[in-house]
Amino acid sequence: MEEHIAVRLNKAIHQKARLGIMSILMALEEAEFNYLKERLKLTDGNLSSHLSLLEKEKYIKIKKKFVRKKPKTLCQITDIGRQAFEEYLENLEKIISSKP
Amino acid sequence: MKEDERREALENIELIKELVLQTKKHVDSYGGGIISIIWGVFCFVGVAGQRLVIPHGPLMGVWWTALVVAAIFASILVSQRYHKTQPVGAQHRYIRYFLRFWLPFLLLGYTLIFFIALSPSLSNHYISIVMLLVISTGYLIIGLLFFRGILYMGSIGYVGTIFSAIYFLEYSDIILGSLFGVGLIITGLVINKQWKNT
Repeated sequence: MEEHIAVRLNKAIHQKARLGIMSILMALEEAEFNYLKERLKLTDGNLSSHLSLLEKEKYIKIKKKFVRKKPKTLCQITDIGRQAFEEYLENLEKIISSKP
Repeated sequence: MKEDERREALENIELIKELVLQTKKHVDSYGGGIISIIWGVFCFVGVAGQRLVIPHGPLMGVWWTALVVAAIFASILVSQRYHKTQPVGAQHRYIRYFLRFWLPFLLLGYTLIFFIALSPSLSNHYISIVMLLVISTGYLIIGLLFFRGILYMGSIGYVGTIFSAIYFLEYSDIILGSLFGVGLIITGLVINKQWKNT
């Protein structure tokens, strides 16, 4: 029996906050922690946990560096993340175009 | 396929589209408003200095060059300040675009001014006309390629400059300095408002 398309939706991405993070990173390649926090209106802890999950899936890379003596946390989308996001989008489109 | 699954998929696609669009718009207009206001003030100060402080002679070139350098420096400074909480990937994008786009135009403007200064038959009033035509062309290109909102600035600038050159050459610097100054300040305020809303 063929698998239901909705089941194929990537669970790591199929969550509003993580979807937001991935969408922004798809547009920018790389974004700072504070920028994501500000744009997605998330708390530090909440954003950290979502980023950790995405990092565990190897969808993003988290780098820490100092810019003018201030620490910055940078999140960068990986090729695996980009591919996973594109597949996720394709599956969403299949769900939309499927017969009721 | 359940109807609620389809609805959720549709909602997610909309969310992705909105976020990608908003993010691009937000990043593209970084500090653009303040920079536009800086260049608006530059027009006023430039014309005021030309009329009141240094009415004639070679010092006029030095005056405008010093102002251009100061305005570029201020634009870079503002752009860097805006990036404190912004994505690093986009940090130098605006400055890079700004310099890559406007430096060739400034070079063209200065070359034309140089030839005007060399030919005794042409009035010095043509200096501001040529410079503003070059700047208007820049705005027209930016408007046509990237931001439709800025297109009006280029069109008004272009038509206004030609109109002033034909009918009010003596006062063209005052008319055009005010036109560009007010136009740039209004554009800056509009961009700032849009940026805060994205």
